[in-house]
Amino acid sequence: MHSDSVVPTSPLQILSKISAMIVITALAGWGSRAIGIAPDTLPVVAVCTFIGVICTTLFFWSHRVAIAFLGVAVLIGTRTMTLQGLMRATELDIIFFLVGMMIIVGALKDLGFLTWVIQSIINKKKMTGGSFVLILCGLAALLSSVVDEVSSIVVVLALVFQVCDTLKVRATPFVLIAVLCTNIGSASTMLGNPVGIFIGNKAGFTFGQFLSGATPIAFTSLLATAVIVMFWFRKPIREMTAKMEEHRNQNRGLGPLVRIPFKRGLCVLITTVSIIAFHHQIENLLGLTGAENKNAFLIVTPLIIAGLLMAYRPQRARHYVEHDVEWWTLLFFMLLFAIAGSLEHQGVTANLADKLSAIVTGGPKAMVPFVLGISSIGSAFVDNIVFVAAFTPVIQSLVERAADYSILWWALLFGACFGGNITAIGSTANIVALGLLEKRAHAHIGFLEWLKIGAVIGLVSGLIAWGMLQIMPVPHPVGLHAAAEHHDPDTKPHTAPCFQQP
Amino acid sequence: MSMISPKPKAVLTLSSFFSAADILVNQTNLGRDALIRKMLDHLAAQHQLTDTDKYFNAIIERESSSDTVLSRGIALPHARLESLDKPYVAVATSSSGISFADNKPPVHLILLVLIPSDQPGLYLQIIRSLSSILRDTETSKKLTQMSTPEEVMRFFERGGLVLPDYVCAADIMDNSFDFLRNNDNLKSAIDSFIAKKHSEIPVLDNDDDMVGVVSAGSLLKVCLPDYLLWMSDLSPIINFEPFTDVLRKEQSSSLSDILVKDFPAVQMSAPAISVAAEITRRNCSACYVLNDKKLVGVIDLPLFLNKIFRE
Repeated sequence: MHSDSVVPTSPLQILSKISAMIVITALAGWGSRAIGIAPDTLPVVAVCTFIGVICTTLFFWSHRVAIAFLGVAVLIGTRTMTLQGLMRATELDIIFFLVGMMIIVGALKDLGFLTWVIQSIINKKKMTGGSFVLILCGLAALLSSVVDEVSSIVVVLALVFQVCDTLKVRATPFVLIAVLCTNIGSASTMLGNPVGIFIGNKAGFTFGQFLSGATPIAFTSLLATAVIVMFWFRKPIREMTAKMEEHRNQNRGLGPLVRIPFKRGLCVLITTVSIIAFHHQIENLLGLTGAENKNAFLIVTPLIIAGLLMAYRPQRARHYVEHDVEWWTLLFFMLLFAIAGSLEHQGVTANLADKLSAIVTGGPKAMVPFVLGISSIGSAFVDNIVFVAAFTPVIQSLVERAADYSILWWALLFGACFGGNITAIGSTANIVALGLLEKRAHAHIGFLEWLKIGAVIGLVSGLIAWGMLQIMPVPHPVGLHAAAEHHDPDTKPHTAPCFQQP
Repeated sequence: MSMISPKPKAVLTLSSFFSAADILVNQTNLGRDALIRKMLDHLAAQHQLTDTDKYFNAIIERESSSDTVLSRGIALPHARLESLDKPYVAVATSSSGISFADNKPPVHLILLVLIPSDQPGLYLQIIRSLSSILRDTETSKKLTQMSTPEEVMRFFERGGLVLPDYVCAADIMDNSFDFLRNNDNLKSAIDSFIAKKHSEIPVLDNDDDMVGVVSAGSLLKVCLPDYLLWMSDLSPIINFEPFTDVLRKEQSSSLSDILVKDFPAVQMSAPAISVAAEITRRNCSACYVLNDKKLVGVIDLPLFLNKIFRE
């Protein structure tokens, strides 16, 4: 598990941050009322609570769960949201999915599969700095697309530190490369990023639809990223090549070489991905149809596999649950979803959708760069799930008006995932990588050092996503995410004229 | 309007533990055991203490494990006893000197201390209160020239030997320790682990500032990196394949490969309890005592336990 380090801050800094939070929150409340997306007191409370949590993730990262708890209390206490509505908004289906996946990743580590991946690369003969970086890009993207981005970055950085420590080269450029590719790869499947499963499930995409829409764009962006980083970091790559050559001449390896059994782990991974890939067909086979069963097998597959793994290794079951599941992060997600749910509950997101469709003329495709840009910039500064949680009901509202707006799900996905590359705090993977770099290499990546390459990659991958969304036929959900399916009886009826039933 | 002034903190002096009646001057022709017995009998007579045989045995047992001779001809025989409700101190002087330990010069000032077993810091606080006496080479000589207990008592009262409020890290540290320099190689570290049976060695830079520690544990971590330990079942590794590379390059590798920069440390003035907290919190076996950045002592767990539970 990854704990947040609490950075010592002077009382003056704390005071100025709190002041900034209060000012931003108050301005957001006042602004939302002024422009008419929060016409009454309760919608303003919902907006202020949500913005307060966003500010906390920006200014007091380690306090985010505490503030989210208090935010929930404010919503209940002010009757901005009912307890039942709050419980429904926690998106327990997504939380269960993530718990299952985290247990599976824990078992993959335990069974030696991820160790084998690292060993296979260390074992490679005649590797150069360039080939190492290409392998790193591919591995980071591939791993983050099948296991979550945080587990992926932990594995990939174990490889980076092993190679860099052995060769005595600066690890920072390679850590940056690994994180950039992890964030890009995490957009390619529903498994890669909590944002992916959240959007996929909310939009009603099947795993296959998601794959066919996301993977081509993520893959193209990955190729562009690989080319850019090979050029950008050409000096450290050349230095690594020289050190590898020197090391080989001394008949020294890149780390301890041990034969690791990997077949069981590989089997678990292939089985999981295969079942998830065919979840839609299995659902049809089992008669799990209708809005209430949408993506049911997708959500329960990780739980089934996790259950089987825990039955197979009962002595490790408790370890998987207690140590491999990021309960802190999941708790934050639940609270955040609940707080974001209050925006929908109070009609704020529907009003925002009205305003957006009035401001951005030219139809759904014209709105793509707007959503892509705003979610990229937003995700660069606050946790991308925060943005996605807030934007999802807005897009749902738009999609309910016209199915063509479903292209915005993709804009939101790529904006959130690719935008995470722009700054050091843009995604959870970035923060975990920074922590590991400080712990292992006692090094730090400055905000500007990250921003220079992050902004370039963010811009290029964003442009690729925009361009491809314009020319590529992207899948539309089988049926619009049934608002009826999750329709909250407490939700105020808003102005959306109709709901299309699946 | 009356002002409430804060209650002044009571100052505990060494002389508050005894009176002139507890002092024996100019003791001659006595061995260590005989002197201790005489001081105990005298103390027992003054304070109606019983069971002097038990006290005697406890003090001799403590002296046998390691003598209590401090520098400058002063000895501090003592024992911690469950049956006591308060500390008792007896003082003796000897101009001819009394042999307390075979390998040390005779002592001229003897403070016999009986401490209740539940006051672990008291003995250490008494030692620290004697620091001004220990610094002055003439103290024990001056005391042996005093012919009456009252004169000796006045000396202690005038000296104002105040017991510190707490035992600090410097009071319990061991100031003789092995260390490595940061430009040493991996081989020197491995040799030290094996030859000196150390599991951890501090590393100092050329200014004697402590830069980190190297440990047998961190050496093993180089051989068995984290990603190998992700597996709960390491049965695939049946030989020592992971050690091959380290063995091959131990002379050419610097200590930085296994240097841990985040180590348990306290400043020398920190309360001894913070040493316990540091050791417990980090689940380690030793804590380093620093004077600013310079290493001045080491407190390992056995030393800490001995100082707190036994001495």
